[in-house]
Amino acid sequence: MDFSLSQEQEMFREYIKKFLVDMERTKIARDYVDNKTEHVKNVISDLKELGWTKLNIPEEYEGMGLGQLDLVPIMEEFGRVLLPGLYLETNALAVPLLERFGTNKQKQLLLKSIADSDVNFTVAWLEPGGSYKEQGIQLTGEIIQDQIRLNGVKTQVPDVELAQHVLVPLRINNEITLISVDLQTPGLLVTPQKNFVETRKLFTIHFDNVTVPIENVIGQIGDGWGILQECLLYYNAALSSVAVGAMEQIVEMATEYAKIREQFGNPIGRFQAIKHRLADMKLDLETARSLSYYANWTLETSAEDRTEAICSARIFATEAFIRLASHNIQIHGGIGFTEEIDCHLFVKQARYYENYLGNIEQYYDLAIEALNWTNQKPAQAVQEQAIMAHK
Amino acid sequence: MDFSYTKQEEQFRLELRDWLENNLPEGWMDGSFKMPEDQQEQGQFLRDWQKKLSEGKWAAIAWPERHGGRNATLMEEIIYHQEMVRVKAPPLVNYVGLHMVGPTLMQIGSKEQQEKYISKIITGEEVWCQGYSEPNAGSDLAAVQTTAVKDGDKWIINGQKVWTSFAHFADRCFLVARTSKGEKKHHGITCFLLDMNQPGVEVRPIIQMDGEHDFNEVYLNDAVAYESEIIGAVDDGWRVTIALLMHERTGIGAQVFSLEQQFNELVELARNVTEDNVPIIEKTDVRKRLLNLYIKSRGSLLNYYRNLTKQLKVGHPGVEGSMDKLFVSENTKELFAEAISIQGHQGLLWKKDAIYGDSYWQKNYLYSFGQTIGGGTSEIQKNTIAERILGLPKDIGK
Repeated sequence: MDFSLSQEQEMFREYIKKFLVDMERTKIARDYVDNKTEHVKNVISDLKELGWTKLNIPEEYEGMGLGQLDLVPIMEEFGRVLLPGLYLETNALAVPLLERFGTNKQKQLLLKSIADSDVNFTVAWLEPGGSYKEQGIQLTGEIIQDQIRLNGVKTQVPDVELAQHVLVPLRINNEITLISVDLQTPGLLVTPQKNFVETRKLFTIHFDNVTVPIENVIGQIGDGWGILQECLLYYNAALSSVAVGAMEQIVEMATEYAKIREQFGNPIGRFQAIKHRLADMKLDLETARSLSYYANWTLETSAEDRTEAICSARIFATEAFIRLASHNIQIHGGIGFTEEIDCHLFVKQARYYENYLGNIEQYYDLAIEALNWTNQKPAQAVQEQAIMAHK
Repeated sequence: MDFSYTKQEEQFRLELRDWLENNLPEGWMDGSFKMPEDQQEQGQFLRDWQKKLSEGKWAAIAWPERHGGRNATLMEEIIYHQEMVRVKAPPLVNYVGLHMVGPTLMQIGSKEQQEKYISKIITGEEVWCQGYSEPNAGSDLAAVQTTAVKDGDKWIINGQKVWTSFAHFADRCFLVARTSKGEKKHHGITCFLLDMNQPGVEVRPIIQMDGEHDFNEVYLNDAVAYESEIIGAVDDGWRVTIALLMHERTGIGAQVFSLEQQFNELVELARNVTEDNVPIIEKTDVRKRLLNLYIKSRGSLLNYYRNLTKQLKVGHPGVEGSMDKLFVSENTKELFAEAISIQGHQGLLWKKDAIYGDSYWQKNYLYSFGQTIGGGTSEIQKNTIAERILGLPKDIGK
């Protein structure tokens, strides 16, 4: 029995942590909020020099061939400082997609460039008024010889300025298909969208007769939904670790403040109203951590309960993140309500992940299906069919 | 990260499983066995069960072999709890003796005390209870008011204990009393190994809100203890008091495993209970409630395994046990509350009229209110987490 990260995994955490401390931690996020995009790009690029993006990429594509668990401490540290960027979309979604379903050419080109150079992926999934369900995907692709012509609109696409490629689920002959689009493709109309989460910038992308090579399709035409759902498991396991890191920072911040802020001649942390709330927060943090470790472990070992384990971690961690970030403001009192202190950045970031790449309700449903509490066909079976069809 | 058990651990599990299959009372596994209603008979049944366990060397596996134990590893103790929960084995009537008094005697007791008491603890020949809580000393244990006054080679004890489990079966009591007024309230405390079978000790039952009788009030009216029945030094009993509480190596392991099992039973309940001929598990709301409980019961188990990993590495239980206790007791309470709630109005039906399992859910629901109080209230656990884990300043009044 050993339910802990290994020494090597913890060691890599220290490199990342040191770098982020040198960069003054949440200052990177604040620079991004202030539109110092070029500076943030440089920081992300320097961070990449530490080699972390190679971790879960196979050795034949210039990676280190390690597993999902090795990402855990890194994701936690990124979450801690609200690091801007597309590390989740790139390393926890595009990488498993390409590795598992990509063609040899795609792997040679894209996996290598993720490992070695500043290549990032964003995801254009949601459509105006739509959902993260199958019926929400309406953007169409029409096959014309070796090209696909795209028409439609995607909304709330994050951090396009930091990305080179965008993953786009669309319909070809009414079948959901996943395609990777180079953001330099002519005809893409990218317009910014305001949102209150300043650490993630959103854009609308109009596809108006945009043509993309057919070889950019990931997996087979018509397999898009299954492979996307399969690889979202990797994304959600990693996301739960990001949330854990953020929560750890929140608990530290709130605890430190409760020790130094005095009222009625005592540090407020001496009062049970504060103390008990902090104890609840600490318990939420540690529970989220246990669930997230286990979720990531199930991917590395292909455990039978991976779908319900990952949904549990995703649901608990994102809900607890919102809860803790909100309590943090309350414990800080008036100062917590100001722009000056980081508290609000955490609340906003927490809200970003609540319903991103799948509403929280969908994860409840997915877990319930995986646990076989319904008479409907388990979602896992749909994914497995897609994987089998691909083989 | 590795959740597997070693070959030796699996072997241990199989050996215990095999023993339980051959030694549990007839009809225990299929549920046809009924515990005797009469209290005396029940006491005798539980003593007989413990005797049987001790004969198989399964009563106190963590004890050294010379005292009838197996010198079990921490992991073997975990497996022991898992297996006992799995078969819902009868409770250990001498739990206090096996898990608290015995190890404390081995650590602090005199040679004479060890010889006199230890072997009778493991066989269940002498059942022990724990005389700690008092009407005015619950969470604040150092506030004990029961007094012991020296009179020749005797000590005369007066006062009242409360919430004393198994006192109605007990032969001896590990009793905390005040022997002098110290500067601080945890000074001047002494621990006695009191004989329960004497005129100065009166045991009165406490009937709980679930109608059961697990606890008692113990009245001490000029009860007598002898010098030889003092453990540790006079006035230096606080150390001994704490030592007794520190012997629980596996923390709330058994409750964690029970919670997991109870959750699975709850899903079965939701599949079997119908409303207008439709199983209630078909309701979206019921499924969502179940999933929240699933997440929490998995969280309890995984938190426990993480703390266990740490304990295996550092060699002693950590203060994180307070988080385990808080979480598992609160989640248990929530689970039974949901179990009643999802049954609808028929969830109120009791005993033979209960719609499912002879009011198993109703009984446990009522009993669950005690879980966030006994063994340190949830509020005390939160203070411990805040002060000892997060490092916040001590509470006012400490």
